[in-house]
Amino acid sequence: MRVSVGDRIPDWVMESVRPERMRTMAAILRDPNPVHWDRNATAALGLGHRTVNQGPLGLSYMVNMLHAWAGPGCITRLYMTFPLAVLDGDHITAQGVVTAVRDEGGERFADCDVWLAREGSSHPLEGKAVVRLPS
Amino acid sequence: MTAASKPVPSPDEVRKAVGHRFPGGVYTVQHWENFLLTECTGAELLPDGMVHPVVLFHLPILGSGASIGEMFALGLAESDSSIGIESYDWEMFKPLFEDTPYTVNGQVLSVERRPTGRRGPHDRIQFQFTVAEADGSLAARTTITWLYGRSGLA
Repeated sequence: MRVSVGDRIPDWVMESVRPERMRTMAAILRDPNPVHWDRNATAALGLGHRTVNQGPLGLSYMVNMLHAWAGPGCITRLYMTFPLAVLDGDHITAQGVVTAVRDEGGERFADCDVWLAREGSSHPLEGKAVVRLPS
Repeated sequence: MTAASKPVPSPDEVRKAVGHRFPGGVYTVQHWENFLLTECTGAELLPDGMVHPVVLFHLPILGSGASIGEMFALGLAESDSSIGIESYDWEMFKPLFEDTPYTVNGQVLSVERRPTGRRGPHDRIQFQFTVAEADGSLAARTTITWLYGRSGLA
């Protein structure tokens, strides 16, 4: 796999963030925060009648993008910040760019800036990833 | 915990959580769990029983004997909806697999009172968890940084 600094990672698209997936996640995670499953709770916080996607789910879109690019199990580190909430019904695109390529212990790694894009908004999630590149 | 707000704890009261260690334990991701979680991410199942990395949120928490509710309570959260995420840092040393027992430990790393910020006054609390294979080799380490809103200080 030939990778260079400045390469764009192919986009990964979540057409519409679905509230039922948040409810499944909340049950598995045993997450008591009602903003993930009760639209009235988000409305009370001034976010409108839309539930808030769990942080790990937004992060998982980045994982899916990197797996599609460099293969399952390629990620060795993922650091993510959460400037804005992702809400049910959002159309979200995971995007990224290679910032460095290096050799370490006989393997090649790419350092990447990664983020989620949403039309009409700054990035709701932003972070960095380290990816082990296939030979 | 209900959505009703509680009195704002002092910084010293919140700092008592630093060094708290969760009981620790063993966690095995079963196929049904990986299937449902992976579906939630919008991806197809990974090959050969490899677990989707999204498990690195709840596996460390539940595997260490903690719970999200307990983590809220340790930080003396004013309500379940008063918590914001600053960051997640997931270090993945090896892929994780279904039906494989992992030994998990976790602790509260730090607490910091921040009187101002984009989210208003808050306490910044960091938790760290380790996930190890049966032979003790480290498979993953995760650091969760949450912001506990203190609306009473606004």
